[in-house]
This record gives sequence, C-alpha cells and structure tokens, in this order.
Amino acid sequence: MSDDKDRQDGGAPLEIEVEGLRKTFGRREVLKGISFGVPRGGFLSIFGPNGAGKTTTLRVIATLLTASGGKVQLAGHDVREDPMPVRKAIGFISHNAMLYPDLTAQENLRFYADMYGVEDREARITELLERLELSARRHDVVRTYSKGMRQRLAIARAILHRPRVLLLDEPHSGLDPRAVDILDGLLTEIRDEHTFLMVTHNIAKGLEWGTDLMIIENGRIAYEHAAGVDHETFSAVYREHVHDGSVV
Amino acid sequence: MSGWTQFKAILRKDLIRELRTRDMLVSMILFVLLAMIIFHYAFTVKEGADLTYFTGGMLWVTFIFAMLLGLNRSFAQEKDEHCLDGLLLCPVDRVTIFFAKTVGNLVFLLIIQAVAVPVFALFFVQRSFLGDLLPFLAVLLLADIGICSLGTLLATISMNTRSRDLLLPILLLPLLVPLLIAATGATTLVFAEGIGFGSVVARLLVLLGFDAIFLVAAWGTYDFAIGE
Repeated sequence: MSDDKDRQDGGAPLEIEVEGLRKTFGRREVLKGISFGVPRGGFLSIFGPNGAGKTTTLRVIATLLTASGGKVQLAGHDVREDPMPVRKAIGFISHNAMLYPDLTAQENLRFYADMYGVEDREARITELLERLELSARRHDVVRTYSKGMRQRLAIARAILHRPRVLLLDEPHSGLDPRAVDILDGLLTEIRDEHTFLMVTHNIAKGLEWGTDLMIIENGRIAYEHAAGVDHETFSAVYREHVHDGSVV
Repeated sequence: MSGWTQFKAILRKDLIRELRTRDMLVSMILFVLLAMIIFHYAFTVKEGADLTYFTGGMLWVTFIFAMLLGLNRSFAQEKDEHCLDGLLLCPVDRVTIFFAKTVGNLVFLLIIQAVAVPVFALFFVQRSFLGDLLPFLAVLLLADIGICSLGTLLATISMNTRSRDLLLPILLLPLLVPLLIAATGATTLVFAEGIGFGSVVARLLVLLGFDAIFLVAAWGTYDFAIGE
C-alpha cells in the first residue's frame, strides 16, 4: 500500500507485513502473491467475494495455515519461523466462537487464560465478564447462551491475554442488532490499544472502522485505498472489481 | 506460561467436559458390557466350559474397539465447535497438546477397565488372579499407553479428513497388531497360569518398546499431524 509505505518510512512501523504471499490447496492456488502492510494502531478492512482468499490470508497470518510462498511478519516475528510470539501477540475473533459449549463462561476463560499464561487470571476474567455484561451468567454452560452472548464471550476470549493485534473474521456475521451494538461499543473502547485486520462482507462496517481498505478477488489484491471513501463510491468500486454482487 | 500449566489446562478441560456430559464414557462402558454379553453367548458352546484361555483376546479386542469410539468422539468435539482453532491459536507446543490428549484418553480407558475387568473376570476366569495383580496391572498400563499414544496421533491425523470415522480404524488396527499379540499373550498367561512377572517379562518388553516407538514418533510428527 502506498499510504502504508509512507507511514513505514515516516510514521508508525508496520505491525503486520505481508510480502508475496501465496497459498495453494492441492493444485488450486488461492492466494497468488499478495503484499500489504498494516501500521501499528492501523485498521485494515479487507473485502471480497466468497472464495477470494480473505479468510485464507487471515488464517496464514494467525499461524493456522502455512504459506506456500512469500513472507508474513507480525509484531516483528516471522509467522512461519517464529510462531509462538506471533500467537501471543494476536487475538482472533471469528463468527465461530471457538468456545467449549459444555464448559461455563468462567471455565472457558480460565482455560484460555492458562493457555496464554495470564498472570492476573481471576481479576482479568471478572473485569472482562463485567465489561461484556456476562457476569450474571458466568457459571452457566455456553451451550445455553444466545448467539450474541457467545460472540461477546468470544471477544473476551480473544482479548483476555491483552494482544497487540486483533484479527477479525466476519465478526458481525449472524449477530442481532443488540449484539452488533455491543461489539461496536467494545471495538470503540479498545480501538486505540490494538492494531486491527478485519475481513468482512459488510461494507458499511468495513468503511466505518477501516483506516485502510482493500479488495481481494481471485487471490489477488484488486483495489487498495486509505480510508475516506464514502459508501456509495466504494460500493461502485466494489461492483467494478467484484462480479458476484455480494455488497451489503 | 509453562508447558506444564498448559498440559494441566487441556487435561482439566477435557475431564470436566467429559464428566459433565458423559458422552464418551457412557457409550464406551455400554459397548464393553454388551461385548461381554455377546462373547459369553458366542463362546459358551458347552455349559461350564473354561473360557479362561480366550479371555486375554476378548478383553483386548473389546478395549481396542471401545477406544475407537472414544478417540473419534474426543476429536470430533474439538473440530465440530471450531475449538481446535482456538487451541491452535494459543502459544502452546503441539507436543503438549498431544501428551494432554493422550493422558486424557488414558484416564478414560482406565475408568472403562476399572468397570470392565472385574465383570470380565466374573464371567470368564475360573481361577483367582489376585496374587498376580501386579503383573496384570503392568500389562494393562503399558498396553493402554500404547493404544492411547498411537490412537491419539492417528485420531489427530484422521480428524482433518472427510471420512475420519472410517479412516481411524483402518490406520489404527493394523499398527496395533504387535501390541495386541503381546498384551493378549501376557493377559492370558496371568489369568490362566498366574506365574508372576517372570512369565510375562518378554511381552512387557515388547509393550515397552511399542510405547517408546510411538511416543517418539508422535513427538516428532505431531506438529505436522495437527496442522493443516
């Protein structure tokens, strides 16, 4: 990104740096050498149709997939060569909550706190459950939670260990309006503390939050721009680059 | 954070979940009890016939098939709820996950055996083997470690495939043959003849070797096995 390059030279250093990233599944090349960067404190919104490679990009950065080629660095560490500090530095919020349904909210958070070595475990869990309005249900198994409550608990799971970078994979997907408000409220609260990379179909949310915008199509970057584009203009750009009409 | 803390966290999580839902334990115990009833009627060709020499085989075949049920379920739960992604996002050595999962499966298998062995002995063994309990427990533990370590490794590999329920037995059963031969022989000797450690030491060494090979194999390959 030209804007990112400027910031790299004169502003915040890059927290996420992707160079020539390629990913193949069998003979199918899903990512065809994409490069971009997200400066510290930045918020990159990635759009694109289903199957474009957005989630694959996110999963490679999160160390859940191994790149077939290219280089990815996060918080100064190569995600392939040095994955442990990368995992400590990221929180991952997806439309899948990644919570154990037969454990209570408190048991889920205790489990993840131990996995991340959170030193003030009980105080941190209490703080997050109160912040996310889940204290009253902390001893209930997650199976009994609504989708919105699960998503709130998933946010607590993701930020429990105070990560530097938050990776968001369709975080608004399947949420009711109340849950969207709570998620947005929380993102507002923590916006200044983190670097964000969000994959979304939701153009309104992507434009609202993003300091940088990107469209991926067919494994390549089709468009990139700094924020400041209005919804109508961006929708037109999206339709120009993407032909499945999946604009929200 | 330490690997030991993470090991305990994964193990505690698996035990709490299973003791709360009893999904695996109930189906495994039911399977073992039903298998005993089937064996009882299938092998009793003559009233009062001594089945002691068949007991080792019946016991280990039953445990291995029961464990297949458990292994499939333990990883299906991680996969179905996308919890595996949450686990893999944690800064945890993959070998720690392997050992925690293996010990969890071992605990479940030991619980099954604590229920099944006395009932088996009642049904099929005509002499008391209490004097040979120590060699029997050694056989049980070494064979269980082998079944659980290899089973956990292969269940991890097969969980990422579409036909995981079919693939696990196809991969696991042939590789368990050496363990089955040693465990069956040693158990039958203990039940039928009861001549102490001396009679089973060679078979215990085979079990020990089996455990060592697959623990080391898992140590070296688990990062790859649990990845994509």
